[in-house]
Amino acid sequence: MIITSYNLSKSYKSVKALKNVSISCKKGEILGVIGANGSGKSTLFKILLGVLKPDTGLVTISSKKTKPIGGIIEKPALYEYLNAHENLKVFGRIQGLKITDKFVINSLKKVGLPIDRKDPVKNFSMGMKQRLGIAIALLNNPECLVLDEPFSGLDPMGISSLNTLITTLAEEQKLGILISSHILGELNKICHRLTVLKNGEIIKSGTTKDIINESTIAYNISAANISTSEVLKSYDVTIKNHQATVIVAFEDISELLQKLHNENIAITSCTPEVNMNKLFEN
Amino acid sequence: MKNLIFAEVYKLFKQGKTYYALGAIFLIEIIILFSAYSQGQDALDMILDNLKQSFYFEGNLLNGNLLSYLILNTLWFHLPLILIVIISGTLTSEYKDRTLLSVMLQPVAKWKFILSKYIVAILFTFLIVLFLAVTTFILAYSIFGDGDLIVYLNGLSFFESSDAFNRILWAFGFGAISMIFFSVVSLTLAVILEEPTKTWIAGAFFLIISNLLAKVNFKNYLLDNWLYVKLNDTWQYLFHFNIPWNKIYLNTTVLSLYTIVTVFIGVIIFTKKDVG
Repeated sequence: MIITSYNLSKSYKSVKALKNVSISCKKGEILGVIGANGSGKSTLFKILLGVLKPDTGLVTISSKKTKPIGGIIEKPALYEYLNAHENLKVFGRIQGLKITDKFVINSLKKVGLPIDRKDPVKNFSMGMKQRLGIAIALLNNPECLVLDEPFSGLDPMGISSLNTLITTLAEEQKLGILISSHILGELNKICHRLTVLKNGEIIKSGTTKDIINESTIAYNISAANISTSEVLKSYDVTIKNHQATVIVAFEDISELLQKLHNENIAITSCTPEVNMNKLFEN
Repeated sequence: MKNLIFAEVYKLFKQGKTYYALGAIFLIEIIILFSAYSQGQDALDMILDNLKQSFYFEGNLLNGNLLSYLILNTLWFHLPLILIVIISGTLTSEYKDRTLLSVMLQPVAKWKFILSKYIVAILFTFLIVLFLAVTTFILAYSIFGDGDLIVYLNGLSFFESSDAFNRILWAFGFGAISMIFFSVVSLTLAVILEEPTKTWIAGAFFLIISNLLAKVNFKNYLLDNWLYVKLNDTWQYLFHFNIPWNKIYLNTTVLSLYTIVTVFIGVIIFTKKDVG
């Protein structure tokens, strides 16, 4: 494990923000932390990043690097009056790095930012700021990356390209990545494991597949001719336009899809519909 | 530490508000000079009408030395107020924009980071006082020329032109120590209060209280001699007829100790605080 936390607890005055939270992440793994607003995600990440002291508990990071962990909390906080190059240079300089122009260009390219933008980052879109924030987090080559709500404020294109970047960093550079969000669909796409946080406590933890399947009560099946299906008539189904929402157990979905295929239903997508109440159920 | 100081200097001079501060100082000088140019001679004639019949003054009394002395007096309120806003802003803006959090996510020791802010605050204050002094001398002497200096400090004092220049120069030097104290206090207030408006109000309040208390006679040896407010006006001692150098050195040393203690308190508080 690159990072492990043991029984972290933290209170703000009378509010208990975290209660005995233990999580771990290994190299090359993407661990998603999902929870509603106020569930304790940001508090947990601040403690992991060392900017907040837990009341009890311990964080261990198995790395001998100067900067074992990098990250972004809530949204990237940059020097808005500086441009991307200058931001990288300032953040590099404060940690004693000699940042050359070539290094800056490589860093910007690595996160998919244009190298010719010389205007202040206050003009950047949220997606570009997220990328620059990640480039800054990656300075000094940490072995673990913590990203708190990286998708917030991003458009679908921005989310998609950020997903690609995160996956690449985990797969190619073997970074252990912890990522929090309340957008389950995005975490489902990129995370190997999921941890569900509710009122400061971990209520579920496991592989993304298991967590999603446990909480799936229906599947959305799209096909141009879905309304002609005879098979679906024996299920609890709602059909709108070219999409059928079918209440079916995880174990039975493969069989249903096979039957629809045999019926010459041209399926174009099948996505689980997670019941959030079930997901956040203890 | 060297890298942190460099980064702080870089950030300071990349921000527009730094140049607004320099502009504000320059504008204050211009206003004082313009007021003196338009009304100063009449006012001086009225005040010194009787004296001029008994004494001979070399040159015009409305001269570069008098104007430099008038601008020097911005060290009472105008300059420390501008410094309080700028210096406290170097930290409160980092709290507000959350860049402090981004910095703390890097492998940077908290005490080194905040100490570098204090060091840059001190350097910047020196620079601002130097800027004030240089621009004052250039503008005042080029517009109003040379001449004897008349100063009212518990009574009228007159200084010959060459003596006056040296006194004003030294006063700017010792005044810089007072300004550093205010800068350091404002940064410590920023450490404690974090929020810009609260810090500005607290800083301005501190300055007003300091100026009020400076005039109070506490009838207590310790308070009347060693309370910081009684040390902040040491630069005015340069305009005593016989300059009390020993008192100036001692006051400056004690005020420097106050400054160091304030820095130490700020570093301790910042280091113990959660940033998140």
